[in-house]
Amino acid sequence: MIERTITRRDFLKKTGAAAFVATAGLPLYGQQEEVKKTRVILIRNESVVDANWKIDQKIIDQMMDEAMIKLFDTKTADEAWKRIMKPTDIVGIKNNVWQYLSTPKELENTLKARIMAAGVPEKNISIDDRNILRNPIFEKATALINARPMRAHNWCGVSGCLKNYIMFVPNPPDYHADSCVDLGALWKLPIVKGKTRLNVLVMLTPQFHCLSPHHFDKEYTWLYKGLLVGTDPVALDAVGLKIFEEKRRLYFKEDTPIRPSPKHIAAAEEKHGIGVSNLNKIELIKLGWKEGLLI
Amino acid sequence: MAPLLILLSFMTAMTDTTMQKFIPPSIDQWGISESTRFYSGDQIFNYMDGAGEVYLAYKFKDLLVQRYASPDKSEILVEIFNMGLPRNAFGIYTYMQGRGPRVDIGQDGENKAGLLCFWREKYFVCIKIEEEEKRATAAVMELGKHIANMIGRDGDRPAILRHLPEGIYLENTLRYFYRYEILNNHFFLAGGNILHMNDSTECTLVRLKQDKSYLLLVQYPNIEQTDSAYNSFMTNYMPDAPEIGVIETENKKWTTCTRHKNFIIVVFDAATKSQGIISLDTIKRRLP
Repeated sequence: MIERTITRRDFLKKTGAAAFVATAGLPLYGQQEEVKKTRVILIRNESVVDANWKIDQKIIDQMMDEAMIKLFDTKTADEAWKRIMKPTDIVGIKNNVWQYLSTPKELENTLKARIMAAGVPEKNISIDDRNILRNPIFEKATALINARPMRAHNWCGVSGCLKNYIMFVPNPPDYHADSCVDLGALWKLPIVKGKTRLNVLVMLTPQFHCLSPHHFDKEYTWLYKGLLVGTDPVALDAVGLKIFEEKRRLYFKEDTPIRPSPKHIAAAEEKHGIGVSNLNKIELIKLGWKEGLLI
Repeated sequence: MAPLLILLSFMTAMTDTTMQKFIPPSIDQWGISESTRFYSGDQIFNYMDGAGEVYLAYKFKDLLVQRYASPDKSEILVEIFNMGLPRNAFGIYTYMQGRGPRVDIGQDGENKAGLLCFWREKYFVCIKIEEEEKRATAAVMELGKHIANMIGRDGDRPAILRHLPEGIYLENTLRYFYRYEILNNHFFLAGGNILHMNDSTECTLVRLKQDKSYLLLVQYPNIEQTDSAYNSFMTNYMPDAPEIGVIETENKKWTTCTRHKNFIIVVFDAATKSQGIISLDTIKRRLP
């Protein structure tokens, strides 16, 4: 028997045309019942980045500290970091070096400083992207931190936490099929599995739309001035996607679905079981600046 | 070295040399700032990540990357993609078109937000600056004209376009492609390949002026593949159609579909049933 494929009409049946956009990368048949929720922190600060994209280091420090306290229900940020790091850990911070929208240095500084404050020696910490498979720290890492900006992507819809681990395979195109639907499988690789202690999806100046495969277009960025922080990469991507879709609706003034559909996010939950993409199962805690929240 | 390897090396060198001739040593105050880089086939992933798949879906061959810098360190980035055939270059251009105003460079060109894109013959060219600024923008345009001139000749547009009457569709919505992944990037149809598109099918997608509906025209290599694709589409997309090839979909719009020889025509989101049928017939009458 041939397996029936999901078509555009299935989305229309479930949601109606107006909401078609909103469900493009999220589960088609979401659960409504009460379930244990995964926690995601959305923290924003109006002054963290200026119109020239200059980032305030002190504010990034404060935002991360506040997010960590809330994420782990601790009294101090140090306490939160000590919950996820021990002095014997060898820590790889997986950043993203795409020249137009890279992981901010200021955030890298904060992450490194807090990990060191938790007792990890500097020599056991490395920040890397393209060279992680040849980086001795990443090769023997016991803990990973995943930090990158979110942006629209011409082959997988959006690039977020899930996609950031594609450099953990020697041949990334192996995961490009069907709009990168199986990015979730990356998180089950031995070099990765069970090691990621924290994900930070940078939403300071995200790029919500692109028309060309790799070109950056500042016109399609905005000063959202936020960070999404959590332990579940799927949940962070799902929340980020929801914000993108709302932004697109406001910008384009009509339904302009993200293309290709970022179905890897739902698949990471439904097929690979590595996290939660259903917004009903996410406890979203919003901190800080509220204007233009979009979610 | 085996003769085949020698031949391949020679061919690569030939391609590189050809594209390198297109780029000048300087333009206005911008001079070449680093050596020219070349990427062939799957090597495109070394230059860009998964986005390289888009170019490969259009049968990309080689890429030349050249950076220019001015004394104040502002940069101009030139990318010349050898797409192998004019229709592939045209296709990748249409994949990206719709960003902004057209410019008279190459066979079709657009320039917006510091990015000039155009195609000519079998080449697709992108020239980019980081910040839009009058002098840099002028240099980009000059560079584009220079490269287009050096390419020297035009390529044929895909023959399938002749079946689309001019004036009935929004020009900057035209997409030309081969694979269903590209269709889904512009108009999500289905998770699977229900129209059996592949590297030997030619497809165009446009939005019609009349009612903003989407018109998809697919040309298959033979009747057998056309019939198979048509049956698959009917089974997967409109199994509940009360009449063959016509259905009102859940968004209260109409989808109509027909086949003619080795072509399939589909109209999505027509405002009315009659408009959907008229749009089909308009195209069908122009088919051989």
